[in-house]
Amino acid sequence: MGKLYKFLKYSFITIWTVFVVAPFLWALTTSFKDFNSVNGGATYIPWVDFEPKLEGWKVLIKSPANGGVDIIEPYFNSLFVTCTASLISIVLGTLSAYALSRFTFKAGFVKNNDITFFFISQRIMPPIVLSIPFFLFLGAIDLLDSLIGLIVVYIVLLMPIAVWIMVDFFNKVPREIDETALIDGCNPYQAFFKVVLPNSIPGLIVAGMFCIIFGWIDFFFAFILTFTEVQLLPVKIVALNSSITPWWSLSASALVSVAPLIVVAFIVERYLSKGNLSGAIK
Amino acid sequence: MSKIDLNNISHSYNPNDPNPIYALNPFSMTWENGKRYAILGPSGCGKTTMLNIVSGLVRPSAGNILFDDKDVTDLKTENRNIAQVFQFPVIYNTMTVYENLAFPLKCRDFLKDKIDERVKSVADILNLQSFLNSPARKLTADQKQLISLGRGLVREDVAAVLMDEPLTVIDPDLKFRLRRKLKEINEEFKTTLVYVTHDQNEAMTFADNIIVMSEGEVVQAGTPKELFERPNTTFVGYFIGSPAMNLFETEASSNDSVKINNTIIKTNTNLSNLKDKKIKLGIRSEFIKIAKNQRENLLDVDVEKVEDLGNYKLLTAKMGNLTIKSKINRETEIPSSDVKLYIPAEKCCVYKEEKLI
Repeated sequence: MGKLYKFLKYSFITIWTVFVVAPFLWALTTSFKDFNSVNGGATYIPWVDFEPKLEGWKVLIKSPANGGVDIIEPYFNSLFVTCTASLISIVLGTLSAYALSRFTFKAGFVKNNDITFFFISQRIMPPIVLSIPFFLFLGAIDLLDSLIGLIVVYIVLLMPIAVWIMVDFFNKVPREIDETALIDGCNPYQAFFKVVLPNSIPGLIVAGMFCIIFGWIDFFFAFILTFTEVQLLPVKIVALNSSITPWWSLSASALVSVAPLIVVAFIVERYLSKGNLSGAIK
Repeated sequence: MSKIDLNNISHSYNPNDPNPIYALNPFSMTWENGKRYAILGPSGCGKTTMLNIVSGLVRPSAGNILFDDKDVTDLKTENRNIAQVFQFPVIYNTMTVYENLAFPLKCRDFLKDKIDERVKSVADILNLQSFLNSPARKLTADQKQLISLGRGLVREDVAAVLMDEPLTVIDPDLKFRLRRKLKEINEEFKTTLVYVTHDQNEAMTFADNIIVMSEGEVVQAGTPKELFERPNTTFVGYFIGSPAMNLFETEASSNDSVKINNTIIKTNTNLSNLKDKKIKLGIRSEFIKIAKNQRENLLDVDVEKVEDLGNYKLLTAKMGNLTIKSKINRETEIPSSDVKLYIPAEKCCVYKEEKLI
């Protein structure tokens, strides 16, 4: 019984791993192919099946004047916008979430839950609904086609995620923790920073991860709100496309663009697997 | 280490409502310096609210609190120098055991040497020495609760240590030792200890004074003996003691006696104003004896069952539709028929509208 279970378990894991890794393998090999190798059907082993070429990768760093598509600048733009917007969203989101979780607000019929819902409701609307208001708004304050403008928009999109995750997380951190800190002699700010926040690192990491992912992969707003001055990576990758689909450079760019997320996933995984997420108390 | 006065304290969680519901009805009380108090009552009777008012987590809707005659009603929790231990262990997960214990002192800017000395001595008392450098979250639930307790005891000058059912998660053997330890700490350092519990045994063995609460009301405050022998209300009689106090619905038949199923039972209470009024007679099962040569205050009963509970036998008897419980010595033989139970007059409590006369 035990053996069978083990066998099934590892079989499943193996199949799943193949399922997950295969596209990467495909992208990796394709990125080293040229037109002829791609058209020759599925091949995987370099030097045997096909002759590896660096053309797909070179295109990414060549300037447009030399027939390439320079993705280095958009890459750093994307990193900058995503990280800044995520950081601000996490800071603001965590503070608002703590307030929403611990204090009672009342403005007429609007109470804590309504405020929380207000944050989440920003994500319920289809993005297309927001595009025109954002366009007009950024136009009015002269921030269209700028990094700052994008950061502002991304904060609007990412902060609800942070608030939503952190409210839930703080609600699960018993009030007694805060109260104990007060009794032990902290003022409410110290209680938050010294006791509650360190206990909430897993929540912060999850919220941060979601913010980074959603910020990094956004194409829609980056496409609509920028033109020539500032470009983000997803928009630039699309620009790679041409009448003959350049599978090799598309594959290469896909790998580069997914790389930061993989790094984030590996860092985050260590924290998540520690089991800190639950059982902070009791 | 302060005397704590609660003056006309009351609390409602919806004070602005036209009909506020009171979690705590107005009461006044003084907690003497260095004594042990137990607050006893069923869940939801306002025990925790009372503690939270003392520690400042809840501001009372009315009344004021004095620590050593100084009004602290508006003083914030962090400035009250009070310790509170909750029902479930609250530990600072990200810190080591040592840091957990040192935290209350650190927050108050104690010197490093002093902190070290206090933490070590508290760790000694609670047998936590060997864990001082382990991360607190790695410990078991009862060790975690010891940490919570330790954080309460680490300040010597604390006004009082408030404990909200602190030993619920701790296993019985350790519970017993800890209770003794707390008593020792109290005797040695004269720390005022306030202990909330719903376990009457815990309260009776631990405290100098017990405060019994029910539905937001302080029903009776007194020594364990007073509560046991002269419960103020039928609730206290019912709640304290195991089995609960025997209570018989009856009416006064003369100036000092009542009638139970046509049997006259004398009491030491003056009942002259209560003729034909509905009253209740209460008597502890501990005081009911099998009659030997007594002539009066006897009840003719049928034995329903006898349970051997180790150090005593619990006799359940029927008299008509009344059930009477009596704790009998192990050695006492219980006759199989014609059993008479003796009700000592001086131990009878008479209640009118559930209150002691």
